[in-house]
Amino acid sequence: MSTFGAAAANHNPNKSFEVAQPPSDSVSSLSFSPKANFLIATSWDNQVRCWEISRNGTAVASTPKASITHDQPVLCSTWKDDGMTVFSGGCDKQVKMWPLLSGGQPMTVAMHDAPIKEVAWIPEMNLLATGSWDKTLKYWDTRQSNPVHTQQLPDRCYALTVKYPLMVVGTADRNLIIFNLQNPQNEYKRVTSPLKYQTRCVAAFPDQQGFLVGSIEGRVGVHHLDDGQQGKNFTFKCHRDGSEIYSVNSLNFHPIHHTFATAGSDGAFNFWDKDSKQRLKIPIS
Amino acid sequence: MHNKKEACRNFQRGSCQYGERCKFLHVIQQQPKSNAFGFGTQAISHQQQKPNPFGFGVQNNAQSKGVNDFGNKQSQFKNTWTRSSASSGAPSLRQPDNQPQATNHRCNDPESCKRIIAEDFEHERPLWKLTCYSHWKNSPCDIVGDVSYEELRAAAYDDAKRGLSLQSIIERERNLLNSKLVEFENFLRNPYRGPAGSAAAQQIPFPGATTTVLSPTTQNTVAPQSNVPPSVSSFSQLGASLNTGFSPGPSVQSNNASGQPTSFSNSAQSSNVFSANNVPSANAFSFGNQQPNQSVVASFPTNMANFSNSSATNPAINQFSAAAISTQNFSSSSIQSPAFLNVSLSNSEVVGREATNVQLGNNLPTTVASGDSNIWLKEKWTPGEIPEEAPPDAYV
Repeated sequence: MSTFGAAAANHNPNKSFEVAQPPSDSVSSLSFSPKANFLIATSWDNQVRCWEISRNGTAVASTPKASITHDQPVLCSTWKDDGMTVFSGGCDKQVKMWPLLSGGQPMTVAMHDAPIKEVAWIPEMNLLATGSWDKTLKYWDTRQSNPVHTQQLPDRCYALTVKYPLMVVGTADRNLIIFNLQNPQNEYKRVTSPLKYQTRCVAAFPDQQGFLVGSIEGRVGVHHLDDGQQGKNFTFKCHRDGSEIYSVNSLNFHPIHHTFATAGSDGAFNFWDKDSKQRLKIPIS
Repeated sequence: MHNKKEACRNFQRGSCQYGERCKFLHVIQQQPKSNAFGFGTQAISHQQQKPNPFGFGVQNNAQSKGVNDFGNKQSQFKNTWTRSSASSGAPSLRQPDNQPQATNHRCNDPESCKRIIAEDFEHERPLWKLTCYSHWKNSPCDIVGDVSYEELRAAAYDDAKRGLSLQSIIERERNLLNSKLVEFENFLRNPYRGPAGSAAAQQIPFPGATTTVLSPTTQNTVAPQSNVPPSVSSFSQLGASLNTGFSPGPSVQSNNASGQPTSFSNSAQSSNVFSANNVPSANAFSFGNQQPNQSVVASFPTNMANFSNSSATNPAINQFSAAAISTQNFSSSSIQSPAFLNVSLSNSEVVGREATNVQLGNNLPTTVASGDSNIWLKEKWTPGEIPEEAPPDAYV
């Protein structure tokens, strides 16, 4: 993203390690391989890049490995569960499957009528789910050119999260559609967001009891699926600075501890525990 | 020891300070977790292993996995949520909403809802303005027409590829922003056409009391002359400074006289602005707009004067400087034509066109409804049917 004048002053306050040969435009998504230390980044410069991340003593090193190009900005990416293949989709309305570990060439496996905002690989079904601004969600068997199923959404897909069998889709105008992937053709439930403004991101609980929803108003909602647990729902404010209210761009659960991280447009990231309702402070060594 | 019959609620929440000494049972899985649809059956076993590795409430999170010693460090284990104090500043966890899932919020108490809206707009306006909005969680949107960051950016990139100049891209975005801001302003002034999506352009179902309060501000109080909200700077991703040339610029809100449902929106336009900006903006509608403007315009100035005063006091409309009401240009409708944006944005509803419809009718008090006075209720005027005389006061 362009830096506005002095904004570049301290762009690395935590002394984080920066990857080599970074993208030349904004990064739209990041995915680590489930099997190895490969990092994929998609960017508005139309590229999907892969680095191998390794330790170098106490430092972290990154080695650019490969990259592919789309015709238009790339918005989303995900790895296949075998850690061999990457899916990436974006404004060119296609998803490319890139078997990069075997050195293969990318092929188009999905198409929509409008840019594809989210992509998710569902290993239990062996299908790729894609959400697009054409208000549909499609399921793809990568060997076939037609989707296995097309699901109509009430509005453009803005966010997607899958934790089999739970899948939550956040759309424009604050709809949240919940699916049971054991019965994907029917919406399990449709909920209006507990937040008052545009939905930005969603994340399913690792135990599938519910999900988090983040919005542009610096707030995260914790929502449980079960009616009996609705009393545990709550929202909290975050990523605010005085009167400036930034959006929460990303939510991610820790796979083991079940705490989660939020990243916001204020340039900060935080860690939270929803069960004790606290923000976690991590000492930075 | 004590008879441990009951389950310890703190432990289940992950932070019991008594540990072994606790007189309640430290069991996690109490009731069978009633899964909505069998979710998490696997996960239940996980639950039992999760003894809260983080020592909740501890400020310094040692990240040690199993180590938790529930017995000690009493002071650090808080099983209640905490509002983060000054140390961390911004991030905080709010009080859990004690309201039950208000699935069907009906605005039974319109006053309090209005207060909520006013407060929201005062304190809880996110930096990104192109958003839908609802004043009540879990309720449908009161203002529709979401545009996400990526959509706007993708549209800009597309335009740039097609050769549009940066300036025109910025112009388009600015218009989009302004029309959205106007929508929000309108909503604030007049939230009750029955929130969320009620049929367009109908009478206000709302009791007269509010209309008196609101009516002075309805029609169009302010000329958005310099309504550059600071947040516009967020658009400068395209690298251009938007603070230039804002003078008459931003108020470009063309009428949608033709083909688009227009709204008797509340912002005044100076017709100079109109001609200056709308015409070049390739907006097919601007043409038709001029006419209604002209005819209606002349008769308004006096009325306008009143409005501007009242509006000036309304803090919510600050952005739109009330200054130029004297511009006799009451625009009957001034929402940027969404169609203009259709080129790059896939859905016209992105611009909240529907919402503007909804806003419309409410500006008109429910009083008279005679035959030809219906003209004042019409959302969309075709050139030629615009009445020559000023609307009766009831409709202004």
